[in-house]
Amino acid sequence: MASKSEHPAINGEQSAWGADSEVEGRFIAPPPQEAETEAAIEEVRTQNRDEGPSETDIASFMDIAQQLEDELNSIVVGQERVIRELLLALLAGGHVLLEGVPGLGKTLLVHTLSDALALKFARIQFTPDLMPADIVGTTIVSEQSDNNATGSKRVFSFQPGPIFANIVLADEVNRATPKTQSALLEGMQERTVSVGDTTRPLPSPFFVLATQNPLEMEGTYPLPEAQLDRFLFKVLVRFPNANDLMRIIDTTVGTQTYRAKEVASGKQLLHLIATARAVPVATHVKEYAVRLLLATHPDHEDAPEKVHKFVRYGASPRGLQAIIMTGKVRALLEGRYNVSLEDLQNVAFPALRHRIILNFDGLADGVTSEELIEAIIEETETQ
Amino acid sequence: MATIAPSRPVTQRIADGKSLSKALYPWRRRLWVQQMLHWTGTGLIVGIILACLLLLISRLIPWASAPSWATALGMACLLCSLGVALWYRPSFNRTARLVDGRLTLHDRLSTAWELRDESAPLITLQRRDALNQLGKHTPVTAVSLRPRRSFLLLFAVVVIALALLVFLPNPMTAVLQQQAALQARIARQVADINRIRQLIDSQTTTSAQERAQIDKILRDAAAQLQNARNEAQAQQIIAQAQAKLNQLRDLQAANKAQAQAAASSALQNSSNSNLSSAGRALANGDGKGLDAALQKLASQVNGMTPAQRAQLAQQLEQAANQASQNPQLSSALHQLAKAVADGSPSEVSDAVKAVEAASAQDTTNQANASSIDQASQTLQNVANTLAASTDGTSGQAQNQGQGQTSGQGQTPGQGQNPGQGQNQGQGQGQGQGQGQGQGQGQNQGHGQGTNGAGGANGSGNQAGKTEQVYVPGQVGAGTSTITGNGNNGVVQPGSPVPYSQVIAAYNQMAHDAIDNSDIPPDEKDLVQNYFNTLEGQH
Repeated sequence: MASKSEHPAINGEQSAWGADSEVEGRFIAPPPQEAETEAAIEEVRTQNRDEGPSETDIASFMDIAQQLEDELNSIVVGQERVIRELLLALLAGGHVLLEGVPGLGKTLLVHTLSDALALKFARIQFTPDLMPADIVGTTIVSEQSDNNATGSKRVFSFQPGPIFANIVLADEVNRATPKTQSALLEGMQERTVSVGDTTRPLPSPFFVLATQNPLEMEGTYPLPEAQLDRFLFKVLVRFPNANDLMRIIDTTVGTQTYRAKEVASGKQLLHLIATARAVPVATHVKEYAVRLLLATHPDHEDAPEKVHKFVRYGASPRGLQAIIMTGKVRALLEGRYNVSLEDLQNVAFPALRHRIILNFDGLADGVTSEELIEAIIEETETQ
Repeated sequence: MATIAPSRPVTQRIADGKSLSKALYPWRRRLWVQQMLHWTGTGLIVGIILACLLLLISRLIPWASAPSWATALGMACLLCSLGVALWYRPSFNRTARLVDGRLTLHDRLSTAWELRDESAPLITLQRRDALNQLGKHTPVTAVSLRPRRSFLLLFAVVVIALALLVFLPNPMTAVLQQQAALQARIARQVADINRIRQLIDSQTTTSAQERAQIDKILRDAAAQLQNARNEAQAQQIIAQAQAKLNQLRDLQAANKAQAQAAASSALQNSSNSNLSSAGRALANGDGKGLDAALQKLASQVNGMTPAQRAQLAQQLEQAANQASQNPQLSSALHQLAKAVADGSPSEVSDAVKAVEAASAQDTTNQANASSIDQASQTLQNVANTLAASTDGTSGQAQNQGQGQTSGQGQTPGQGQNPGQGQNQGQGQGQGQGQGQGQGQGQNQGHGQGTNGAGGANGSGNQAGKTEQVYVPGQVGAGTSTITGNGNNGVVQPGSPVPYSQVIAAYNQMAHDAIDNSDIPPDEKDLVQNYFNTLEGQH
């Protein structure tokens, strides 16, 4: 086992658990805080199984979501769409891949989100020499005093990595090698981390917000499709317009430093996620989502001509889950209690754009996923 | 963000499910009415368009029943569309979807309808939200029953098109009227043919086989005439029937009749009273009289001297020689003469039977020929009537007394127009022995009238032959009268033109054609030589 990482890129705060000792092969129980959270989730799930969230839960969801969005918008200027999409993914319990040039406030956005939710935040700056152990943690040998004896004894103890946080910012994730990138895979999908023969659960809620720079392609390692698929949304962070730039000047270079106030706790966030899952979806809306997804596949007969021509692989069933889940959240954010076709069309772009793999013709012709999704929405029957 | 409505008791939540259908009901009814109006209007437009197409087709081809079909098709489209609209009454689910779309309710109603039986708080909240949103609108204002302007415009266009097609004169109407008139004429002529069929069938003197054949020919002709589409086809059918009738004729009938007449005349001139009586009976076709006279003659022969028998035999021989064109009669008379000369009673008796048989056969043959003539004459009258009616000229065929027929055909318009000369040429008639007027005109401007049938009584008044030649474009006037045995047929179809004029005209046309290079150079000499040859014959 490698010793504890001293890598400067990892500047996250200490793990939520700290450096807990363990005996190899024995599962370590989660700390009290985590147990509390799990209990909250179970409580919501039980309630949902009975008759779903109450009207108070729904009102609370709308209230907290609105406050959260307002709070983020007050700190991060000119990225309303990005904030909305980030919230959609967050309240749907998914991870987000943020793509944009440096300096657009991606890290600020994630920081502000962690402030507003009072969640543990960790940032990992991905570099080519970053190792998996630098992310998930490692087992180290440490001296432990023995009260009954004069000397001390050496024991193995697990030193958790920065992934043991509620919100993990994987900055410039595509600059690390695929081996290191894959260290996130288990955590993103299973919410656990396996080191040696021990599997440890990650704190809940757990969100990975990764960023990647589309300009600097030299020395980068594009994320493999399997990992891309684990991101619920891929959000494009665009350059702000002139008015937003003026507001950025006013809010960031003055004497005051704005910091988001706490809006909700992790437990409340889990309640929100569970509440959103209870939003009803009509059959025809589900059928439309299925048609949308199938239309991304070039071998499907109802796919648009562009898809037949430029797409190599279509979206996986995770894409369908992403559309429905985020559609539910969007319905609540829009003040509705049901998912509409418009919700699906709206979330289709961030949910599908990273799941559509272009073929050589598409890449050569400069076709974008957005064009394809537009064509899919346009040609897919709503009835 | 939506305003959260206060919680309500469970009973109220359940009531929401029922109130949803209650709230949707007026929308459903309104949408149904709108759907009926839309479908009915669409069906009406489609029906009118199809009707216009049919009426348009009826202006290109003669189609008598096109207006009826157009009306039926329009009505069928209208009723079908109305039936479809009534059958596919929008369900509540579809109503919810439609209202969602029209009011931009973001699938609120369709979701609420689908989950109407659930009572979870969020579902109840959603249902209440849907009802609240629906309550902001009314069906009358949201679902308009007024047709769109484009629909009205299209409707106006098709109605105007239909009106034009209905009220503007149809050029095919005249054609249809002509066809109807032709069919009516054909029906009348078919009735005439059926009458002559019955008449011939009642004639017992004609052999049964002959009657059956004639009846079949006439029956077929009548059936084909009823299906004839135009006058030319009818004429062709008649001509074919006449040709078949002519095939039934005995080509030697005239000669036989002439021979019989000659023999009977010779017998009548005999000094022997019995032989003279036999000659009269033979001339009149009186079988019984002939039998009685010959029996008497046979009895008389027994008491005659050889010289008297020889004289009588000589007279019989002369009669037999006169009947040489009638082999059976001639042979019987020769046999009788020989028997008389020999004086053998048995031979005389046999010979008498032979003469009687020959006479009876001749009588039957004449009756057959008479029936054929009647049928042929009727067909000719039909042809003349059809031709005269089609050309707008008068035509008549009259049956005159004593069962004899005179025919008259007038086709004065024929041959006057060079452009029509190649397709016409009818109305020629001949008077036959029995007085039938018969004639055929053929193409190429020539005509032929034949008349060969002798009179039934064998009086020896044979009708002559005449040939009439018609030249396209040459106007003439004249009549051709053929008289035979008291019957006559007067034909005024055109004008007979001398052969020399015809050849000269054609020669001139040939020269013109050669000069105009209408004929290939290597064939000019051939044409030139041909007409030179004709002129030489003239």
